[in-house]
Amino acid sequence: MPEYNSNDPYAVDIDKRISDIQSAMHERDIDVYLGSRIRTMSFITDAFVPWRSYIVIPAEGLPTIFTFVIDCARLLSETWMDEDHVRGYFGAGGAEQIDTIQYFIEEELDIKKGRLGYETGMATYTAEGWLTHYEFERFSEALPGFEFINAHDIVDGASLIKDEGTINRFREAGRIVDAGQRAAREAIENGGWKGMTETELGGIAALAMRREGSVSEWNFAGLNEISSGWRTGLGACTPPTTKEFAAGEALMFDLHAMFKLALGDHSHNYLLTPATERQRWHADNFVACVQFVADSYRAGTTPGDLITECGKFAEERGCADFILPGVEHGIGLFGDEWRVGASMDVPIPYWTDPDHVYQENEMVILAMQYAAAEDDVGFRYENPIVIKKDGCELTSKYPLAIEEIS
Amino acid sequence: MANFLYLSPEWAEEGHKRAVAELTPEKLHHVTSSMTNIYKNCPDGKEHYFHVAFEDGKVKAFETGEGEGPKGEFKIIADYETFAKISRAELGAVRALTSRKLTLRGNMAKALRLAPLVDKLNKILAGIPTDF
Repeated sequence: MPEYNSNDPYAVDIDKRISDIQSAMHERDIDVYLGSRIRTMSFITDAFVPWRSYIVIPAEGLPTIFTFVIDCARLLSETWMDEDHVRGYFGAGGAEQIDTIQYFIEEELDIKKGRLGYETGMATYTAEGWLTHYEFERFSEALPGFEFINAHDIVDGASLIKDEGTINRFREAGRIVDAGQRAAREAIENGGWKGMTETELGGIAALAMRREGSVSEWNFAGLNEISSGWRTGLGACTPPTTKEFAAGEALMFDLHAMFKLALGDHSHNYLLTPATERQRWHADNFVACVQFVADSYRAGTTPGDLITECGKFAEERGCADFILPGVEHGIGLFGDEWRVGASMDVPIPYWTDPDHVYQENEMVILAMQYAAAEDDVGFRYENPIVIKKDGCELTSKYPLAIEEIS
Repeated sequence: MANFLYLSPEWAEEGHKRAVAELTPEKLHHVTSSMTNIYKNCPDGKEHYFHVAFEDGKVKAFETGEGEGPKGEFKIIADYETFAKISRAELGAVRALTSRKLTLRGNMAKALRLAPLVDKLNKILAGIPTDF
């Protein structure tokens, strides 16, 4: 177990993370936990685990990760775990995923029967890492003495409130994203946007952020997400296309960075000249609504409260028809980027609980979308925030504005 | 010189002698590990094992016998004929693994790292005049 170094601003308490999970396992009488989601690997190994992996957590003792054997040495060099707890699987007799883990649980941990926690559910992005139907069936056959219990909310609950080291990592990821935004702006100003595609701009920003210390633009999502023109009118800022920027269009630059698994995420918007009065009106509405929501976040509020208040504010400005419902999404370490909260008892399973009560040092992405499809214009704002007692801290410091670029 | 019978006590004694003489701690990178091969479907109808252990690169155990044998860090299970073919260089160990003729139990990543050391041992054992 790594020593917690209080002098390291980015230190995280791995011991506490594991003991929190094991305490919850004891409460539910779970003998062994089989994690398969990316976010679970990130939270426990404190390392980048991009290949399909599984982590076995006994009720007592250290966890062991199983990853594709070709990445074992790299993972071993980055995680706190030792060689005995970083295992590989490979397409060979006794060494493939199911055989390896079955043998490990039954023969090395000597747990032949009991309750096995695993991770299943749904999400908006493919690479969440839920145990597949095939894997579930194979593990069930290989471990006949076990009752399989869906228990991913154990890890979700343990990772909800961020410690100081984690928050500092997000602050640094925010600084890196801001460097990406500055590079993006420099690339498009003074006519630089002419002939430039969304994908090219995504690459320019990626290089700038890598030079500042980012290691990924989030390969579990759409990398840097850039849109322009008609697609902004849908409020969408999904993966970039080869479309070229054009005069009179709106631009959305949603940049992703990663620093020590903390996810930097800031979406900034521009209007390419000449901007119409109608575009400017939409832009000013959006900036005002984002500012209103940023000023409203604090411990004790709920997603339901915030969307209601934002709706009233937008109504007063006459732009309620253009604000898409929702002012946030969840955020955590690499692989954790969707619903708010950890409870499985929510009105719409695997979506944000509107009644979730925010606590201090919880983090979410302040995320808002504005869609004026008939005017082919829209905007998106994203910024990871730290919930405070009386407000919130924005991790990206890039100024909130929608500038006109010529 | 008469051949040694594969997996017999005499074969094990000869193998032990050769391993100690030829595998220095430096050659074995001071490894500490152990391996038990389990032979299924042997000609005598019984299950046999071959167990070898190293501590800081020195041979600490080298034995054969009936049954499952001592517990090693790695357990390799196969038919007698598969092991015999590997020993006679008629079948590659990797081919045997990927075709599921051979089952490896233990830390796969570590096994791959230690594979060159096992190759050194296998070369020495292949030099023993053996009747299968």
